[in-house]
Amino acid sequence: MTERSLLDPTSERTPSSRERLARPETLSGLKVGLLDISKARGNVFLDRLEALLTARDVTVSRFSKPTFTKPAPIDLRHEISTTCDVVIEALAD
Amino acid sequence: MKLVAVVKRECPTCTLIEPVLKQLDATDGIELTVFTQDDPMFPAGVASVSFDEDLSFSYHHDVETVPTLIADDRERIVGWSRDAWEQFTGVDGLGPGLPDHRPGCGSLSVDPSLVDELRARFESHRLRARRVDLADLEDEMEALYDRGWTDGLPVVPPTERRVLRMLEGTTRAADEIVAVVPPDLVECTVEKVAINAVLAGCAPEHLPVVLTALEAACTDEFNMHGLLATTMPVGPVLIVNGPIRRRIGMNSGVNVLGQGNRANATIGRALQLVIRNVGGGRPGGVDRATQGNPGKVSFCFPEDEEGSPWEPLHVERGFAREASTVTLFPGEGPRGVIDQLSRDPESLARSFAACLRTVQHPKLPMVFDAILVVSPEHGRVFREAGWTRAKVKERLHELTLLEGAEIVRGAGGIAEGVPDWAKDTQLPKFRPEGIVLVHAGGGAGLFSTIIAGWANGETGSQPVTREIR
Amino acid sequence: MHDIVDLEARGIPSAFVASTEFVVAADTQARALGFDAVARVFVPHPIQDRTDDEMRALADAAFDEIWASVTR
Repeated sequence: MTERSLLDPTSERTPSSRERLARPETLSGLKVGLLDISKARGNVFLDRLEALLTARDVTVSRFSKPTFTKPAPIDLRHEISTTCDVVIEALAD
Repeated sequence: MKLVAVVKRECPTCTLIEPVLKQLDATDGIELTVFTQDDPMFPAGVASVSFDEDLSFSYHHDVETVPTLIADDRERIVGWSRDAWEQFTGVDGLGPGLPDHRPGCGSLSVDPSLVDELRARFESHRLRARRVDLADLEDEMEALYDRGWTDGLPVVPPTERRVLRMLEGTTRAADEIVAVVPPDLVECTVEKVAINAVLAGCAPEHLPVVLTALEAACTDEFNMHGLLATTMPVGPVLIVNGPIRRRIGMNSGVNVLGQGNRANATIGRALQLVIRNVGGGRPGGVDRATQGNPGKVSFCFPEDEEGSPWEPLHVERGFAREASTVTLFPGEGPRGVIDQLSRDPESLARSFAACLRTVQHPKLPMVFDAILVVSPEHGRVFREAGWTRAKVKERLHELTLLEGAEIVRGAGGIAEGVPDWAKDTQLPKFRPEGIVLVHAGGGAGLFSTIIAGWANGETGSQPVTREIR
Repeated sequence: MHDIVDLEARGIPSAFVASTEFVVAADTQARALGFDAVARVFVPHPIQDRTDDEMRALADAAFDEIWASVTR
């Protein structure tokens, strides 16, 4: 047993592994952020996603990371999280 | 006769008696097995030598000293003494030329540097809690925040070793159910309390207080669920009495209600972490406190019995002085009372009464209890005048009788208050048992403290005292 | 992946889109971050040498799955 194996202090009534957040019924009417990781061709993909989403009554905002080699800067993450209801990040290859 | 000897080469007494072991091995009627803790080649000249490399034999047979000699799986002797060994084995002439006796050494299975590891090796099956493995990239402290196990301050990662060490602090079985914890009404085992005690930073000797506090908190009378769910700024306040205070190093003197003492700080915290983690009671969830108070992180202190002018709180509440107890009170944060000029008890009592009237609101009687923590300098005023506990409380109750006309709704231009029918009566601020008197604090300072309570009565909460076993 | 884990922690349902080259790496990363269930959608590799029309076609083909990854 390693030091990274811990005993659960809870009632164990919820799963111990991390779950996805609850999702909305639909994206229509919501603000969706499209985060470009800035790898080549990704912008074309995201342009098309934007068009498809907009056609379904989604308000789309575009963001891009300075580099795909690191996590997004904290200011960018803050901006995204305070202005968007949902985020899609693309396109890693 | 079946003989088992447990030895280690590193022990000079064990090497001294190597010839004795050979003698016994060669004796008819003696079947000797030697378990050696550190060197499989030791002792030489004995037929049956077993290398207790993982110390499982030594651990499970509670070997504390080497050499230990066990006869027929029943009796045992330790160390070397010719007389004792000859009598024990029935064999004469053992170890000619050796000194008559020599004390043994510590067994490896009780070596302080190995204890945690051995406990984890041999006792971990006792632990039933789900294991949670941290992911490779998770920081071990951040992970505990991410999982929602903390009260906002960092907690100690509850590894098996730490939890097993914590369980050494009680003789109760790990799977014994301590209480049914609100709000989720979860059966909470000793093990779960131990895990949260580790989170809180408790030492093993603190665990019995936490266990008893949890039992007291989960009684109908204390009504932990109500206390948690209320919008009032209250939480469990723990007062500890009896010999356990000194034994576990609690602080009843300078800064008794403040930070710095591990026992004071972690015992109260452990209780709240159990409510949070096991019971599921969290701020924003069932805990709806409008403002809360910092004591909801932890609020636990011992009474200063030794310097008190009175018998201890637990004696007043019907327990023997030698008993150790914890009293749970549904309380807010503390508020100071200053009186630097009262030399007589009547004047001091009037100061206290004037401040006690404002518990929750000066125009609301009967519904709220309060703790009055009297400091040593204030206590001396009562001691010198010979005022007993009972006398102090009696006078405080008299002095906090409220005039109906002053406390009805609208009186003083304040909408809050009691209904109009009370206008020509007097109503007591506190119910008969409503003032809890405690003595604590540093020797210098003419300040005492009031800890206001939540609602008492059927739908509220009553103080509960339980003996710590 | 770090960004998605962080955004979910901030309360924003999120998903990322990657080429099929990333399937195994994504599983490994997700596990290492303690979040096996991270929402992810894969589009057929390669990406770099696709024409604009091909990229748009990939987006069209992946759209329903992307929509599903961030809705109930």
